[in-house]
Amino acid sequence: MTLLQEDKTLPLLRVMNLSKFYGKTMGCHGINFELGKGEVIGIVGESGSGKSTLLKCIAGRLSTTNGSVFFNSSYGFIDLCRTDEVLLRKIIRSETGFVTQNSVEGLRMTISAGGNIGERLMANGMRHYGQIRKIARHWLETVEIDTKRIDDLPSTFSGGMQQRLQIAANLVTDPRIILMDEPTSGLDVSVQARLIDVLRKLVASLSLSMILVTHDLAVARLLSHRLYVMKDGRIVESGLSDQILDDPREPYTQLLVSSILKP
Amino acid sequence: MDDPILNIISISKDFVFHHQEGTRIEVLDDFSMKFFPGQATILTGPSGSGKSTLLRMIYAGYRIPKGKILVRHQKTLVDMATALPSLIYDIRQHTIGYVSQFLRVLPRVSALDTVIEPLIARRMEPRKAKQRGRQILECLRIPENLWHLSATTFSGGEQQRINLARGFAAPYPILLLDEPTASLDPENRRIVMQLIQDAIQAGSCIIGIFHNKSDQKEIAGRVIDMSQILCRTAEV
Ligand SMILES: Nc1ncnc2c1ncn2[C@@H]1O[C@H](COP(=O)(O)OP(=O)(O)O)[C@@H](O)[C@H]1O
Ligand SMILES: Nc1ncnc2c1ncn2[C@@H]1O[C@H](COP(=O)(O)OP(=O)(O)O)[C@@H](O)[C@H]1O
Ligand SMILES: [Mg+2]
Ligand SMILES: [Mg+2]
Repeated sequence: MTLLQEDKTLPLLRVMNLSKFYGKTMGCHGINFELGKGEVIGIVGESGSGKSTLLKCIAGRLSTTNGSVFFNSSYGFIDLCRTDEVLLRKIIRSETGFVTQNSVEGLRMTISAGGNIGERLMANGMRHYGQIRKIARHWLETVEIDTKRIDDLPSTFSGGMQQRLQIAANLVTDPRIILMDEPTSGLDVSVQARLIDVLRKLVASLSLSMILVTHDLAVARLLSHRLYVMKDGRIVESGLSDQILDDPREPYTQLLVSSILKP
Repeated sequence: MDDPILNIISISKDFVFHHQEGTRIEVLDDFSMKFFPGQATILTGPSGSGKSTLLRMIYAGYRIPKGKILVRHQKTLVDMATALPSLIYDIRQHTIGYVSQFLRVLPRVSALDTVIEPLIARRMEPRKAKQRGRQILECLRIPENLWHLSATTFSGGEQQRINLARGFAAPYPILLLDEPTASLDPENRRIVMQLIQDAIQAGSCIIGIFHNKSDQKEIAGRVIDMSQILCRTAEV
């Protein structure tokens, strides 16, 4: 593990030659890309193309078979694939966020909404109950959840609210990067619109750096500066979002873009 | 004469349709042109002659596979064909404005917020941005009771005016306009013409697609007939 001084010229994230195999099954292979501070990139591709695998490797939730994930953390520009467990846990707890499609995975259903938000703060050493509650309230407001629901269990929330709560619970430690795996799928269209609206506002006001995995090209266009198209575990095309969606070059991307009505 | 603010050097563009027997459409072939501050350029020509393609390439919304598009951006010269994404975001924020033919409407985002988005992106104070937003919406005669609604339900002409309000909310050294007057009534057309004249007076370089002869005459810029200049052949 190399510990360097924080360097502003380095990207926030540099993924190098990353591969993940599940036994003989390829999850993703030969992935290279960089993410700048304040940038949102979308990873698109059909089901089974390796999007979640890639995201989980970046998040340190899955051990990689090969390659590196350099992250510009407060501990330096370090390779998360070669960081000891203790430091990795520390970084995951405070400097990266991970929002999953399935809120049951991303939330603790048996503790209150406020508790879900407070948990990451407590894990980072905050103890003052009043302070934690105040911050939790602020984040509920930010994601447009009525603060009166602070003591309610997330299981009593609608799907869209659960997703917004998950986002709040991740943003509370002011992470340098937030990773989202299909945050809008499985939601009704109007509920999706609200979630996207909240995300757009957060991206603009907090200059969030984000990797968004989605198979919904309209969502990808709305939120991402750049897109990466994945097929069979590999990146087949990348570019500015409008270039990918309006001027796709690869056969696979053309198929993907033309198979939906209006991204 | 000043240095050009935009210098297009030998660009070519084709589209290959991989799922339609590999059909290739050549839209631009070795096209070059210089553009200057305070100058208006009017693109005409039949549908399919490559007018929108040219605008989108200047904006780097379409790729630039061959040639250079040099843009003067805050005292530096940038080639849109090779610029890093972060620089292109910056150029789109400050140097090149683009008003597409149709507004991309968003549910839940008010007309006013749609219009001031480029101002907020420039870190203008929200209060000031809103003030400017209201001013330009008023100028384009969007009734005040619509300002806080999403443009999803607006008429075509209203959506076009929201799109124009967004494009004219902040000044750009280069402004690309894709058929800005196409769905406007005479009164709104006159207002948009005035906005264009004002931008030219202020030194903007305007490149716009206009079919209407009287629009062309009023703007008094050079007229480029794309079907005359550009080679366009389809081959299989
Ligand atoms: N835990 C796992 N064990 C074995 N194979 C897996 C596992 N997770 C994913 N895969 C396989 O890896 C490939 C990529 O899957 P995934 O990353 O989930 O794709 P996506 O998120 O794009 O739908 C698929 O072939 C999938 O079957
Ligand atoms: N994204 C695209 N993908 C494929 N073909 C395109 C694309 N954009 C434009 N074209 C084709 O290029 C030609 C020029 O189109 P366009 O620039 O839109 O013309 P105009 O604006 O002059 O009507 C047309 O044949 C059109 O079908
Ligand atoms: Mg997945
Ligand atoms: Mg056109």
